[in-house]
Amino acid sequence: MRNTNLILRAATGVALLGIGILVLVLVSGPAALPIVVQAQAEEGDTLYVYVYSSFVEWGPAAFVEQEFERRTGVDVQFVATGASREMLARLLTERDAGGTPADVFMGELNDVPKAKQFDLFEPLSVEDVPNLQFVPRELQVDPENTLIPYEHGFITLVYDTQALSAEELPRAFPDLLDGRFREALLVQDPRTSSVGHAFLFWTIYNFGELFPQYWERLLPNVLSVFPGWSAAYEAFQAGEAPIVVSFSTDACFDERYQPFFLEGQAYRTVFGAGVVKGTDNPSLAREFIDFLLSLEVQEKLPTTEFMFPANAQAELPEEWQRCAKVPPAPAVLPLSAVAENDDRWLQLWAETVVGR
Amino acid sequence: MNLRRTAFYAALLGAPLAFLGLFFYYPLLSVLREGLPLVPDALARPYVRRVLLFTVEQALWSTLASVALGFPLAYLLTRYEFPGKRWVKSLVMVPFVLPAITVALGFILLWGRNGYVNQMLMALLGLEEPPIKLLYSLGAIVLAHAFYNAPLIARVVNAAWEGLDPQYEESARALGAPPSRVFWTVTLPQLLPSLMSAMTLVFIFTFLSFPIVLTLGGARFSTLEVEIYTQAKALFNRPQAAALALVGLGFSLLFVYAYLKLGGVFARELTLQRRARTRPLFPSGREALRPHRLMIWAFLVVSALLLAGPLLAVLVDSFLVSTPEGKRLGLEGYRFLLRRQYEPRIGDPPLQAVLNSLRFGLGAVAIALPVGLAVAFGVTRLRVPGRRLLDALLMAPIATSSVILGLALLQAYRQPPLALSGTAWAVIVAHAVIVYPFVVRAVAPLLLRLDRSLVEAARSLGASRLRAFWDVERPWLVPGLVVGALFAFALSLGETSATLMLARPGLKTMPVAVYELLSGRRGLEAASALSVGMIAISALAFLALERLGERGLRGR
Repeated sequence: MRNTNLILRAATGVALLGIGILVLVLVSGPAALPIVVQAQAEEGDTLYVYVYSSFVEWGPAAFVEQEFERRTGVDVQFVATGASREMLARLLTERDAGGTPADVFMGELNDVPKAKQFDLFEPLSVEDVPNLQFVPRELQVDPENTLIPYEHGFITLVYDTQALSAEELPRAFPDLLDGRFREALLVQDPRTSSVGHAFLFWTIYNFGELFPQYWERLLPNVLSVFPGWSAAYEAFQAGEAPIVVSFSTDACFDERYQPFFLEGQAYRTVFGAGVVKGTDNPSLAREFIDFLLSLEVQEKLPTTEFMFPANAQAELPEEWQRCAKVPPAPAVLPLSAVAENDDRWLQLWAETVVGR
Repeated sequence: MNLRRTAFYAALLGAPLAFLGLFFYYPLLSVLREGLPLVPDALARPYVRRVLLFTVEQALWSTLASVALGFPLAYLLTRYEFPGKRWVKSLVMVPFVLPAITVALGFILLWGRNGYVNQMLMALLGLEEPPIKLLYSLGAIVLAHAFYNAPLIARVVNAAWEGLDPQYEESARALGAPPSRVFWTVTLPQLLPSLMSAMTLVFIFTFLSFPIVLTLGGARFSTLEVEIYTQAKALFNRPQAAALALVGLGFSLLFVYAYLKLGGVFARELTLQRRARTRPLFPSGREALRPHRLMIWAFLVVSALLLAGPLLAVLVDSFLVSTPEGKRLGLEGYRFLLRRQYEPRIGDPPLQAVLNSLRFGLGAVAIALPVGLAVAFGVTRLRVPGRRLLDALLMAPIATSSVILGLALLQAYRQPPLALSGTAWAVIVAHAVIVYPFVVRAVAPLLLRLDRSLVEAARSLGASRLRAFWDVERPWLVPGLVVGALFAFALSLGETSATLMLARPGLKTMPVAVYELLSGRRGLEAASALSVGMIAISALAFLALERLGERGLRGR
């Protein structure tokens, strides 16, 4: 008697479990099958583009996807799960784990030395990407064009006009050390954020190997070092501090936030696209990059990405003349210096900032 | 006889040891081997020593804060009766299993300059400047850790307290000792082992903490785990990350050993003893205004704010949609949750992330239960010297950096025959390895208190060993298995660090989705909605846990 009770209960339990699993599988559809199967089936007609998240949130990703699909019939899938460096790390991790679905990578050119170290991209030339001829020489910071520039901008300090007046602003780097800016700065971690990386390079441009001393004295004025530009900007908009490291085009987004230069300087930042080594669709990938440099996409960049288009033939919107600030003395470190010293500089920065 | 029994239990340990060896020790050791030559170098650098010191410092403060919050909570749960007490007891553990990123979100929403608390205080007191500047400091980190771990302290101490035989206290009081004296000399010493063991566990967890430190403190407050993540992910320096992980592992294994030495139990103690009298928490009339009561009121307000506040903030925020004009009510966050359309900010359709979390959780539990049960049996029944050491080694996943574990699994199984990397199985196995120690810790105390004579009686009546297990030991263990299973499921649901390493498009889970959504700016409501989903599932799991656990306790 007791045995049948037991068997009945066990059977009910198993049946319930089975129904539950069945429901789960049905609801999740073919996605319930091992992903490897699905990925292989899709690779034939899908182009995977790894890009930093703001390109999808703010940028023309939807437009690019639509138009490219219209032209070529190929489905574009963006993977935008973090900042440029994070996406690079993801690429590397996936490649090391046996293979990445990525075909195209879009990110900051300062990451090129690291990418070259791990041999992640195929070198490109103007034969592969015809629209490259319209990109000014000064933007082609990488002679091998591992990443072909498609947009550029200037990293500088941006202030909240409701919290500070223009007279109170610092004019030069030493001014930033002043006591009246205690806990007034929002900066980003150069190890994880391209904006933070650019800001670090800006201080190195001005102070050379003495930059750790500058940062040591700057620290009391830094409210927090954020892992990424988005987190810092979120805090900036929430009013946590009046000054943030951001782009010189921020006023085009909201007039309340105005950029300002230090001694007429701002740091040049260039974003580019490259073909991932080992991709199944190399010609399609090159076509995509060429499309990024087409006037259609380039003229969409100012209003969506708030960045300057790389294609010199692209027309800028009218308001852009007013709100997009260009520094009279743009600063940039040569990529060769970055390649040689970046690891050491980041180490020095960490030793100065972390734990202090 | 003894030899045969020893051999049997040793053999029982064989399968779980093989599992662990394959999916924990081997991958871990290969990664750590990369880092071993760098360890002396790393320890010599003042930077690393600073990070290590800070890690220990914040863990100490966090543990103290957790006790400061959790011990009074245990007192209230033990000595007082109030409406909804059972609900509170079940739900108080929900913070423990939440992914750190959700907690960080709640804290920012609650305590930021424009957070709910500051907004309320500024409105109430007519202030210009927000009075509370908590974020981006050690205080924020410690507070968030207390939020996480105070429930653990509360439940463990409460379980021990309820299991105390009241006769000692009654005798002391009969002999004329005042209540405070009774507490310090009779109650507290009896509670000390459980309290110490819970504190050690909390110390281990806060020592290994990562997303909280990063989000609420910023890069200036770097713990060992943050450093490991940064080295591995941002600086592409795996050997350095491995070296740091080795250092961390050395420390945490020491702590795990200490925890086990103190008789580490964290699950409810299911004992049937005479319970002490409880008093109502919310009395009527003048009783309610005595200073003793007022202190309790004050504590309740503070703990409600601290424990429930961040959760409520996330809940509220999930119904608010941010637009350029401001925030408005809307269900977009939840609609996002159910979307089947591909979402590039996650790398998967959101619904896929939800379903992945559920299926990985079920898979992890399916593996962790038998492995945990076998290990619990082996470890409690095996009578060999160095048993504690064996126990510590088997508990090692608790003490290991999940970041390194994810990395290790990724590296180790790229080729056939076990080409797991990039598949769902890698995630399931990682989760199983991480959560199975909790199954062991839930079942082991029950095994220890099982009256062996019952089994022997069954055997002497003619039952086979298997039948004896099924009829005698299994019913006794079911509550522990249920506790372990639900805990394991909830923990798998919230696991972030290892999954971040292992998840590629197709394998994203809910906490990973929240983490990646938070790196962007729009769609905070989506992150909040996902977090609410996780809170709801965890709450349901714990409520079920209480019901089923109590059913087992009341007997069949």
